[in-house]
Amino acid sequence: MTPSPMPDRAAHRIAVLLAKHGEELARHVRRMVRDDDAAQDILQDTMIRAHGALARLPAGANTRAWLYRIATNVSLNHLRSRSRERAALRRHAAERDAAADPQVDGQLPSDDGERETLWLSVARLPERQRLALTLRIVDELDYEEIASRLGGTAAGARANVYQATKKLRLGVDPR
Amino acid sequence: MITEQAEVERRAVERIVLGAFGELTGRRSEPLRYAMMDDTPVGVLGLASGGRGLRHLSYVRDEDAFLQQLLEEHGDVPLLRTASLDDVRRALERYFAGKRLDFDIPVDLSDLPAFQQRVLDATARIPAGRVATYSEVAARAGSPRASRAAGNALHVNPVAIVVPCHRVLRADGSLGGYGGGVRIKEWLLAHEGVRPASL
Repeated sequence: MTPSPMPDRAAHRIAVLLAKHGEELARHVRRMVRDDDAAQDILQDTMIRAHGALARLPAGANTRAWLYRIATNVSLNHLRSRSRERAALRRHAAERDAAADPQVDGQLPSDDGERETLWLSVARLPERQRLALTLRIVDELDYEEIASRLGGTAAGARANVYQATKKLRLGVDPR
Repeated sequence: MITEQAEVERRAVERIVLGAFGELTGRRSEPLRYAMMDDTPVGVLGLASGGRGLRHLSYVRDEDAFLQQLLEEHGDVPLLRTASLDDVRRALERYFAGKRLDFDIPVDLSDLPAFQQRVLDATARIPAGRVATYSEVAARAGSPRASRAAGNALHVNPVAIVVPCHRVLRADGSLGGYGGGVRIKEWLLAHEGVRPASL
């Protein structure tokens, strides 16, 4: 029989993870999804995944980078599903408009739409580029800071952001 | 204004972290805010404060050790790393620089047993450059025969340096013990201009 989980130990480990990394992760996620409730859900989800996988993390692994990876990926999943929801809403609205229902406003802010498209492309980037780019444009970090969060060097972070912006043809100045 | 925006973000971020903590652990107590001071003359210090004042000033190996200590002592309270313990940090910097050896920052001892609170209150009134004995402190705490208990209460002083338990010595003038190690006690006293051996 497997031993029953020890909620106190779990709470303990989550408390330590949140104490050390909670604020910067919450800031990162909040800037990505621009929605405080969603950000809290994503942070919780990140912590649950982190806690579940913590025991399997190799000794000497960069915990901070690993948490950023989880948080960024969960955020991107959220944006992707939100984008699907919005697309569905737009279709509903269009159908209703076709039925001439004046109550429904099918117009969504176009910048939201553009941002979502951007995130969908970001989600398809190789992981290191994806993480470096989100830290650069979402958290507005310099390359030293990106390297300190993700591991590696500032020059490596710069190269990853450069590759990512080139692929996305973003008007982001990689300096 | 940019600073206002940063403050709005800081509060929102804090709400998110506390909300997540509450949901995940089922515990919604008031957070402890903590900060680390890594390179002081007496080593690494961990600081932690609730809403009502400084609750911990501890000699620790590193941040992880300090967090473990806080969680063991307080159960799983939410812990938030903060820059807002700046007043404590500045007071300590002034202390270590020898510019101001006495502290005027709020300390919260309300969680501690009444006797320990009285002992620490009495200790907090010993000015820099002066010392007292365990039995003097016990007497000032209203229990003149409890010098050993006073020593124990001081040994687990949660707010080292600021509540200057290093200024309490044995009746024969020898140093006695110290939570952070006797060498630190010696350093602090010498820094304050006290030569315990000459007492």
